[in-house]
Amino acid sequence: MTVTIRLAEEGDQQYLVEWLLQPGVLDWFPLEGMREIEDAAKIWLSYKQYSAVLVAVYDGIPCGIANLYLQPYKKLAHQCLFAIIVDEKVRGQGVGTKLLQELMTLAKEQFKIELLHLEVYEGNPAMRLYERLGFEQYGKQRHFVKDANGYKAKILMQKKMTEVLDGRA
Amino acid sequence: MNDFDIRFSEEGDLASLEEWFLDPAACDDYPFGEQEKGDALKNWIGFSKYKASLTGLIGNQPVAVGTLFLMPYKKVAHHCSFYLMVAPIHRRKGVGTSMVRNLLHLAKTRFALESVDVEVYEPSHLQPILQKLGFEIFARQEGFVKAENCVRARVLMEHFFV
Repeated sequence: MTVTIRLAEEGDQQYLVEWLLQPGVLDWFPLEGMREIEDAAKIWLSYKQYSAVLVAVYDGIPCGIANLYLQPYKKLAHQCLFAIIVDEKVRGQGVGTKLLQELMTLAKEQFKIELLHLEVYEGNPAMRLYERLGFEQYGKQRHFVKDANGYKAKILMQKKMTEVLDGRA
Repeated sequence: MNDFDIRFSEEGDLASLEEWFLDPAACDDYPFGEQEKGDALKNWIGFSKYKASLTGLIGNQPVAVGTLFLMPYKKVAHHCSFYLMVAPIHRRKGVGTSMVRNLLHLAKTRFALESVDVEVYEPSHLQPILQKLGFEIFARQEGFVKAENCVRARVLMEHFFV
């Protein structure tokens, strides 16, 4: 499977909304209902203006998106949070790994990010990807999400970008 | 503290916040810096429209502003974080403790929140007060803040009502 990575473009937001609406995906996001989904997707893609959103493309069609939530404040600008999503149709085929590796390279080389971090809900299978790429847990906020299934904790993970070399974790 | 009182914040309290932040060092314990504080303080006081902000008064003059940053999404709306600023000349009088107690009460009674969390940067004069009031650390991140000649960890703390 040959996947290419490019910067986000106009029109990519529709794919993000589509993937968020796939069965079970919202279990791993704080969102509920179309208003919240569209609001979050708009914020996510707004980082396109800084060239901080990457899109994985397979056979000409987007199949994953990852972005850097660049910090608006100077004293925090050396670190940032990121988010990633992969179309369920191509999961388990290395798309997430490639997208995240490229995002780490972008963070380090373009934005001089020294510390990259993420938030993931307890039980999310994506944690295995983050651990494999060197992210380590530094905190856990219990009862972060509350929905019809009860509570879920938020796991906070980070990776020092000094450990990222030539696009490889 | 005999004449200490508390009311809901008003948009006009922005002037007091701006005055307390005239000292450049006042930004040290917040994510924004001296050049960025203008918009940050306006956003802060903007939560007063939701009755989510309290202003502490001594002699009817504002001496502190504490604000609950209510969450925008339903699945996480059962908790929130807060900011607190006490006027420099009114510190070490128990104002901060009283403000946090009242913010917790507001969170629990008006907004039916289940927990409140806060982010502080080490070393923090607020951290011991928060621990006395039942806040517990759930995360500590080295190197979160990088200012001139100074790298600081952030500590995330939370207080549960149940």
